[in-house]
Amino acid sequence: VTRVTRPHRCAHRAAGVVQAVRGLLAAFAVLGAASCSGGAIAQSTPLSNPQSFVSGSYSSTYYAPGSRPAAPRVTGTTLAGARFSLAAQRGRLVVLNFWGSWCAPCRREAPALAALAAQFKTSPVTFVGDDVQDSPASAQAFERTFGVSYPSLNDPGEQVALAFHGAVPPVGIPTTLLIDRTGHIAGRIVGEVSYRGLRALITRILATPS
Amino acid sequence: MTQDLAGRQTTPGASAAGEAPAANAPPSGAPGTADEPSAGGPTTPDATAGRAPGRFGLLGWLRWGWRQLSSMRTALVLLFLLALASIPGSVLPQEGIDPAAVSEYYAAHPALAPFLAKLSGFDVFGAPWFAAIYLLLFASLAGCVLPRTYRLARSTRQPPPKAPRYIGRLPHAAGFRADGGPGQALHAAAALLRSRRFRIRTGDGWVSAEKGYLHEVGNLLFHVALLGLLVSVALGGLFGYKANKLLVEGQTFGNTPVGLDAFHPGRLVSAGDLQPFSVSLRKFTARYVTSGAQRGQPSAYNASIRYNSQYNGPMHSYDLRVNHPLLVDGVEVFLIGHGYAPVFKVTDGSGAVRFDQAVPFIPVEQSGLTSAGVVKVPDAQPRQLGFAGVFLPTQIDVGGRLASAFPAPDYPRVSLVSYAGNLGLNSGQPQSVYALNTSQMRRLAVSPRPLAAGQSIVLPDGLGKLTFTGYRQWVSLAITYDPGQLPALISAVIALAGLILSFLVRRRRLFVRAFPASAAGDSDPGQLATSVEIGGLTRSDAAGGFETEFAELASEIMQRVRGGAAATGQAAGEAAAVGPRRFSSQGE
Repeated sequence: VTRVTRPHRCAHRAAGVVQAVRGLLAAFAVLGAASCSGGAIAQSTPLSNPQSFVSGSYSSTYYAPGSRPAAPRVTGTTLAGARFSLAAQRGRLVVLNFWGSWCAPCRREAPALAALAAQFKTSPVTFVGDDVQDSPASAQAFERTFGVSYPSLNDPGEQVALAFHGAVPPVGIPTTLLIDRTGHIAGRIVGEVSYRGLRALITRILATPS
Repeated sequence: MTQDLAGRQTTPGASAAGEAPAANAPPSGAPGTADEPSAGGPTTPDATAGRAPGRFGLLGWLRWGWRQLSSMRTALVLLFLLALASIPGSVLPQEGIDPAAVSEYYAAHPALAPFLAKLSGFDVFGAPWFAAIYLLLFASLAGCVLPRTYRLARSTRQPPPKAPRYIGRLPHAAGFRADGGPGQALHAAAALLRSRRFRIRTGDGWVSAEKGYLHEVGNLLFHVALLGLLVSVALGGLFGYKANKLLVEGQTFGNTPVGLDAFHPGRLVSAGDLQPFSVSLRKFTARYVTSGAQRGQPSAYNASIRYNSQYNGPMHSYDLRVNHPLLVDGVEVFLIGHGYAPVFKVTDGSGAVRFDQAVPFIPVEQSGLTSAGVVKVPDAQPRQLGFAGVFLPTQIDVGGRLASAFPAPDYPRVSLVSYAGNLGLNSGQPQSVYALNTSQMRRLAVSPRPLAAGQSIVLPDGLGKLTFTGYRQWVSLAITYDPGQLPALISAVIALAGLILSFLVRRRRLFVRAFPASAAGDSDPGQLATSVEIGGLTRSDAAGGFETEFAELASEIMQRVRGGAAATGQAAGEAAAVGPRRFSSQGE
């Protein structure tokens, strides 16, 4: 049953206003908290993959060769204004991180991502971010703060996330997808990545012929 | 609890656990009934303990249980329980609706909250005990409907029962005399009743007729529709989802958990099940009453949007208004609120722009749409910056206090308090984008004068500068997908139709008996005469009116019978006494 609150409707009734405003405020207070993290979302979303490991809001999934969904054709513009095409990255492992500068868990995982990007600089690994619900000014300030050197797609409307709808959809922010050399999704981390966790997953996918 | 359970079990069959009959019961005191000391041995030490299960047996118990479950009383109790069980769902904050309120509750009641959580108090509608009531009600209804459907199906194929011997004792009775033989009279009566769509059964000297099976059909329809309603609600709960999104003019969002502000999926919904549409807000317009008592009241809202139903799909235009939702891919998008999003540009101590975007402010009062909000600049150097304040669409000064006189942006101003320090964002703890945690921040000595578009606040100590560059409007959208909605509507309509049918139609039976009567008076002794009795019976006469119908039918039968026998004026004058509990007897 749909409950639609129409605050303006009760504008002439003082009590109604207070109620509506309080409700709205409460609702929005949640929005900010809930939209980030993927915590609540990941928890309440059953992950059907038997290989997944779900612990609280965090889950790390590895897809074995043969059961890897094909990644969609994604193109976009980076925060710096350059064109980026996922298909052009064939032959390399792509680490695609969905983030936003306002998202607290994204801020905490940022150092690990920056460090791993530097560590795999000489390997056939491409790090790329997808900056959602954000503005370029804030995003670039974030990149500067955390020393993020890899590019990020400017995606305020979550179009890249939508493109992954049919394959492995990101279930919250942050979500990190790993796309193997043949353009198939080989791993997904929901929630904050850890340095060790992500490094292990990258190493495993690099070591597996795909 | 166990005592209560045990106590109840004593009555019907003592310690009988169902599967273990006689053998287990007599040596009661000890092992067999160890876990239920109060129920077993002491209270019923004698034969009753052994006899009850012996008489019932497993099958008997099951049948008894089923009969109890499917009884009307149980269904009503369960319905009541369902209503009762929903109460904590509206009294306690719910995880799926307002997780922040649940956290607050934890903070306010540290001892009680974990206990309530264990009882699923914060997720009432997903609680096992709620599901138990729901499923029991479902089973109870099914248990009621199935046998009744079977009985109805059988009874429609069965002829009406035989006419009772003494029709005069029925609640509705009438009688008359006519010329002609009984067979002739019965034939005429049967023909008339058949033409009135009665189901007819004839026998030696009687006709019985029945009509109104639709009463039971209506009754069953009602029950089936209730079942349908339960299933629909379950469908919605399992496969539906609700989400919220606040969208600023010029922005787009994708219907993915990544793009939504709040997402409440059904039990079997995963991120991949969301319909992949996008909506962008081009322009929002609100019109307000500008004079009179209604001044400031909204008169019209319109959100001009563009949307597509899949990634890179063709875009369509739509005007979203209150109660005029967008339907895309089976999902409804409602316009449920609006407000202002002032645009701020913040440069930090190094002189670089660290923030430049619209920030949604939330209305805190409706008459002037005074809106509150915060700006967080976590990547400002050398200190993180935070601002909290209000947006005033039509700013006025009321005795030194700032206020907004009108909801339209006739004289838009913002007033902010500035902070520097640690926003607490880097700890990884998710926080509301509408609240500023100033516990690790220092309030800056900046006069909170209202800023007009284009004006700036210069922060002390070279911390930077904030410019209010303008404002945009935002809308809040409710996104709902409920696959149970249509089935629920259909079920509700059917339930109503069934109820009306069962109230309007009554199941009724009519019986006619005819006896040869001795020719009265000095009529031609060669002429046959018949005494006809008519009786009527109805089980449910909620709407009333059977009395009238019976009287009409009785007089029509009389006319038909007499007409068939070439009634004379004299016969017609001999009116039949018609009425309930009356029998105009000719002395049987």
